[in-house]
Amino acid sequence: MSNVFQEKSPLLQVSELKQHFELKKEVIFQPKQVVKAVDGIDFDLYPGETLSIVGESGCGKSTTGRSILRLDEPTSGDVLFKGQSLLQMNKKELRSIRGNIQVIFQDPYASLNPRRTIRQMLEEAMAIQKVLPPNKREARMLELMNHVGLRPEYLERYPHEFSGGQRQRIGIARALAVNPEIIICDEAVSALDVSIQAQILNLLKKLQKEFDLTFLFISHDLSVVRHISDRVMVMYLGKVVEIADKSSLFNKPMHPYTKALLSAIPVIDETKRGERIILKGDVPSPLNPPTGCRFHTRCPFATERCSQEEPLLRELSATHSVACHFAEELFTS
Amino acid sequence: MEKEVVLEVKNLKTHFISNKGTAKAVDGIDFVLRKGETLGIVGESGCGKSMTSLSILRLIPSPPGKIVDGQVLLKGQDLVKMSDEELRKIRGNRISMIFQEPMTSLNPVIPVGEQIAEALRLHQGLSKKQAWDRSVEMIGLVGIPSPEKRAKQEPFQLSGGMRQRIMIAMALACTPEVLIADEPTTALDVTIQAQILEIMKDLQKKIGMGIIFITHDLGVVAEMCDQVGVMYAGQIVEHQEAKNLFNNPLHPYTQGLIGSLPKLYEDQEELQIIEGTVPSPYDYPEGCRFAERCPFAQDICIQKQPNLIQFDENSKVRCWKYSDEWQDSLAKEVVAP
Repeated sequence: MSNVFQEKSPLLQVSELKQHFELKKEVIFQPKQVVKAVDGIDFDLYPGETLSIVGESGCGKSTTGRSILRLDEPTSGDVLFKGQSLLQMNKKELRSIRGNIQVIFQDPYASLNPRRTIRQMLEEAMAIQKVLPPNKREARMLELMNHVGLRPEYLERYPHEFSGGQRQRIGIARALAVNPEIIICDEAVSALDVSIQAQILNLLKKLQKEFDLTFLFISHDLSVVRHISDRVMVMYLGKVVEIADKSSLFNKPMHPYTKALLSAIPVIDETKRGERIILKGDVPSPLNPPTGCRFHTRCPFATERCSQEEPLLRELSATHSVACHFAEELFTS
Repeated sequence: MEKEVVLEVKNLKTHFISNKGTAKAVDGIDFVLRKGETLGIVGESGCGKSMTSLSILRLIPSPPGKIVDGQVLLKGQDLVKMSDEELRKIRGNRISMIFQEPMTSLNPVIPVGEQIAEALRLHQGLSKKQAWDRSVEMIGLVGIPSPEKRAKQEPFQLSGGMRQRIMIAMALACTPEVLIADEPTTALDVTIQAQILEIMKDLQKKIGMGIIFITHDLGVVAEMCDQVGVMYAGQIVEHQEAKNLFNNPLHPYTQGLIGSLPKLYEDQEELQIIEGTVPSPYDYPEGCRFAERCPFAQDICIQKQPNLIQFDENSKVRCWKYSDEWQDSLAKEVVAP
């Protein structure tokens, strides 16, 4: 069964995206050091779905989000929004397209101007994207506040007067103000306590239904990802190791890394606790990633071949792709 | 047979007094830690769990913080009344502590091996050579490969997971009776967290210390702890054996907390939520502190503060629902026209 969302043509197509950062030389004549934060990834985002990117720190999940919006200028590759290349646009075109692709960050306090009231922020966003004539903006603001569950009188307040959860609601209201089609949520609920996190997750799901939103949801928390996603993409050291629809990824992971990642999560229900795979060592430095399969240094099943030949992302079924030489042998039984 | 009690906290109150008023960060905490056991303290930001742990070793910034009441008994000795000098002999020796961010607890310009050795020389009176050897041994014990080489390195040369292992090695070097771990794995990735938790369990078996494990992560509690105290607004609202807490949470707050957790092995359309927000520590309501967010709240909950009552042999709960008065208050409501 293929995913219902994939019947439509993709909203966003990312191909061969690379984001390399050159490090400053500490010593003169030192050879150039390059961090390959994102190193050639491909994926499509379909209208109405939630695609999550998961992985541990330094795997390149946030960098991917930032490259799509050109908050960092990508090194190479292409990003198409409805067939138009975002990477070839000039500043003016890009600014107008950013109305369609909004972003919510982890720390809402850092992304809200402390000296502006909520009203000023929402007004500015609408003015820049020219979403409504000025006389209709007041009504729209009240509507937005209502959608995200904040009282209308809060419009006159400043960010410091709100709690963490409320600030995240403001971030969401601001993103919605310009009628986006895609919202990139970069660790949007990671800083919140579980009871507040639940409120925001429910809100995001509700808004997605109401406004036909498409989410690219970046998170390190697999339980949250399971709750919100339709499809999940797992990254390791700048590469996609597995991408699949939610149920096959969680029920039948086909990459040893995904398997280890899932088993490492502490769960409260003893009966659901599977055998834990403890990975040895730390994530290698992205400055000098291992040859061949990047996971081979920590993989319990690695062979000679893994250290030499890089596995490509290949399709196992219409909704499940994996980058491992031995996926079938290891996990089909 | 019950194991020996190593640490007992009785009616501990830590308040912060400033011109904004008095913040009751820790407001009457009781618990008992036994040898070789792990007691989890869970709760959301601002519930007072970290302040409780800091109060045990009198590490709260003072002023404005002050332990206004209560006792902390280490095998009968009261740490609250102790002189600073006596307390110094206990900190890092009989009770040690690890924190969330190891980089802020390690000296950035001293090799990690020396930092561990220093504690051993001070507390155990070992010679320089003995202390160094023991330090290298400890680094090996927490699972760091080539400990001789690592001992000579400075903290910035180690990864986050390794630094946390060094902290554990340092905390356990003097074979303490109590280890206080305050969110020790919160800043780490899950695969590294799994390694660290494994090592802590392993060393607990070897050394036999009691662990107070402070965390916001219920999954970690389920895997690590024997007993759990759930904190809300400066108080323990529920105390249970970990294996029962998740199957049979008693307090409405605990029930809400578990319900709001996205489940890894289950699909849910919508998450359960707890309405509202935590009350300010400057101005706690007169009745139950959870009453205004509680779906079961009655008049009695708003008027009078509930005590932590014994529910059965192994569990305690601070909720009117489980008291004798509850039936009366419900009955009254039915009678009222």
